[in-house]
Amino acid sequence: MHLLLIGVSHRTAPIELRERFDFQTRGVEGALRALAARDAAREAVVLSTCNRAELYAACDERDAGRQDLVRFLAEYHGVGVDLVAPHLYELADLDAARHLFRVAAGLDSLVVGEPQILGQVKAAHSAAAAAETSGPLLNRLFHASFGAGKRVRSETGLGSGAVSISFAAVSLARKIFGDLTDRSVVVVGAGEMGKLTARHMKAQGAHHVTIVSRSMAHAARTAEAIGGASAAPWDDLDAALGGGDIVITATGAAAPILTKARIEATMRSRRNRPLFIIDIAVPRDVEAAAGEIEQVFLYNIDDLQATVRENLARRAGEVAHAESIVGEEVEKFALWVRSRGAVPTIVALRQHFESVRHAELERLLKLSSLPAEARERVDDITRLIVEKLLLTPTEQLKSVGDQEIVGAYHEALTHLFGLGAHPRPAGPADVEPERPKVVDGSFNRTTRR
Amino acid sequence: MMRFVPLALYAAALAAYVWHFAVRHAAVGRAATTLLVAGAFAHTFLIGMQTMEFGHVPFASPTSAISTFVWLLALAYLYTEMTTDERAMGALILLLIVALQSIPTLQPGVEERAAVLESPLFGVHVSSLLFAYASFALACVIGITYVLLFKEIKAKHLGFFYARLPSLQVLDSMNQRAIVVGWVFLTIGLVVGAVWASQAPTTDPRVQAMQVQDPKIFVALVCWAVYSFEVFAARRIGWGGRRTAYLSAVGFAIVLLNFVPISYFLTRSHNF
Repeated sequence: MHLLLIGVSHRTAPIELRERFDFQTRGVEGALRALAARDAAREAVVLSTCNRAELYAACDERDAGRQDLVRFLAEYHGVGVDLVAPHLYELADLDAARHLFRVAAGLDSLVVGEPQILGQVKAAHSAAAAAETSGPLLNRLFHASFGAGKRVRSETGLGSGAVSISFAAVSLARKIFGDLTDRSVVVVGAGEMGKLTARHMKAQGAHHVTIVSRSMAHAARTAEAIGGASAAPWDDLDAALGGGDIVITATGAAAPILTKARIEATMRSRRNRPLFIIDIAVPRDVEAAAGEIEQVFLYNIDDLQATVRENLARRAGEVAHAESIVGEEVEKFALWVRSRGAVPTIVALRQHFESVRHAELERLLKLSSLPAEARERVDDITRLIVEKLLLTPTEQLKSVGDQEIVGAYHEALTHLFGLGAHPRPAGPADVEPERPKVVDGSFNRTTRR
Repeated sequence: MMRFVPLALYAAALAAYVWHFAVRHAAVGRAATTLLVAGAFAHTFLIGMQTMEFGHVPFASPTSAISTFVWLLALAYLYTEMTTDERAMGALILLLIVALQSIPTLQPGVEERAAVLESPLFGVHVSSLLFAYASFALACVIGITYVLLFKEIKAKHLGFFYARLPSLQVLDSMNQRAIVVGWVFLTIGLVVGAVWASQAPTTDPRVQAMQVQDPKIFVALVCWAVYSFEVFAARRIGWGGRRTAYLSAVGFAIVLLNFVPISYFLTRSHNF
């Protein structure tokens, strides 16, 4: 059983091609079902975002599986295999696992550390779980990737700090005012950046947005575009400043509109409540000296850009740490995969014990005429005995990581119990025989939730 | 031996809080809180033992009063941490706790209670003041963190504290709350103290010295003036944010001055 991955991402394919491989427009479920209908993949998960389309599959044959996945990807999207091939990446087993862990951690994202990808990976797995195309191997793989993603997020600064101007402004506002719910935003001028930042503030809960513009009609239009905002005439600017907490200036004026003296005057009327001014206009709308006023926090476009750069640099500095966490998680996953090497032996051993039990039970029931209730008891007790006898050997076998030792055990057990009579099952992904709750091996945890 | 246990646990908690502040692992944070809770428990036990031994809560000597103050501060901080889920202040608070707790641990004072102190009013007086001081200590630490964050934002250099502290607004309102609570208890403590002094038998020279000129009483009144200004006037004249934060630090510096050196060396009225 092999874990296979094929995909295209922003690293390998231009947007025109990624668009054609988007699974979401037609629905991921359909793709999963189509994939399951083919024989190559025993398990499959489709991860499709705007930056990547990836197929994860568990296949018996590595090469055949890989070829079939490529064919599926091309056929499903109606693209020639030749066209896809140069943009595809194909990974197998632990390399595929490492890739998924890096994706979930945000290490493979366009903006390193962006937070949405973990949710998208989770959604991809839930969709496969709902379509019943995910099985023991991929369930384990994806849950491990959630763990890796969470660890990277909580133990490194990979996702910290805003990496866009408008989010940097929002994050500053939150650091000054905490909750933005009862804060008022004043937008002076009606440019695109001002609108965008105001929208972000509104999304963060800012309760009122006022647009002040030299042209009342323009202000009204912008207010409408933002939604739930109001417009005010230019003459009311001082009053608006007095009532606002966050001021975004973005006019095309050649000289500063808000001088230090003007802001000082408003600060008196607002009893020195903090005022956060974001000046995104070039040339600047606010006199730089205004930043010296005690409770005024003045940031211009360069300051915001500088914090964005700092944040990006800080994220880059965290990559090595994040990669080492991913490495640890891959190690853990590898250990689990190796422990599954013992599964055929365990299955054979169990089948052997079970067949002995059945044979003896049948013989007993033929010879004596037990009442139905007693038969059930005997059945229960013998099954319990078998379970208890096999509990420790099962656990011990699963804890063996080394393939050679697993082989030695397999030989020894086959020899000792004459297991040769039973055919050796095909691969580690075979589902184990159903077991009563007495045995709680690591396998139970891998089944789908 | 028992008296070393709280200090050791507080010191361990300090290390954990500092570590947590630096690396921000949730598990380290939980460990820090656990250590602090354990320290506070051990301290409660110690104070309980002493209470049984002496027949009253040990705060009649300056040294044991420090121990009780530290205990109240630990509890007040734990309450704040649990209600706000904010551990950033822990490192500074624990630094203060460890520094102060080493005084009673390394130099235990003799707890004997003079006859004049056998009044319920005395208990109210001391416990209100200790609680007020614990609140002021919290306010001071919150104020310091406010200033650190304020400077980072103002200087447009968003770094260490920016990533670790709650917002200025949250710090400001936490500070305000701690100051108001402290002021209420300070007022109660002072009024009850004055009432008690007026009723106490004047034969004791220490009671005779209980006048405004006594350094301890004078400085306590200065404190009250500072905090009254902060509670009632500061914000009305536009002294928000950084200035009130500084004021909390100054106020607590005066409290500490009154609490440790003046209690030990200067006062004639409060040297029980």
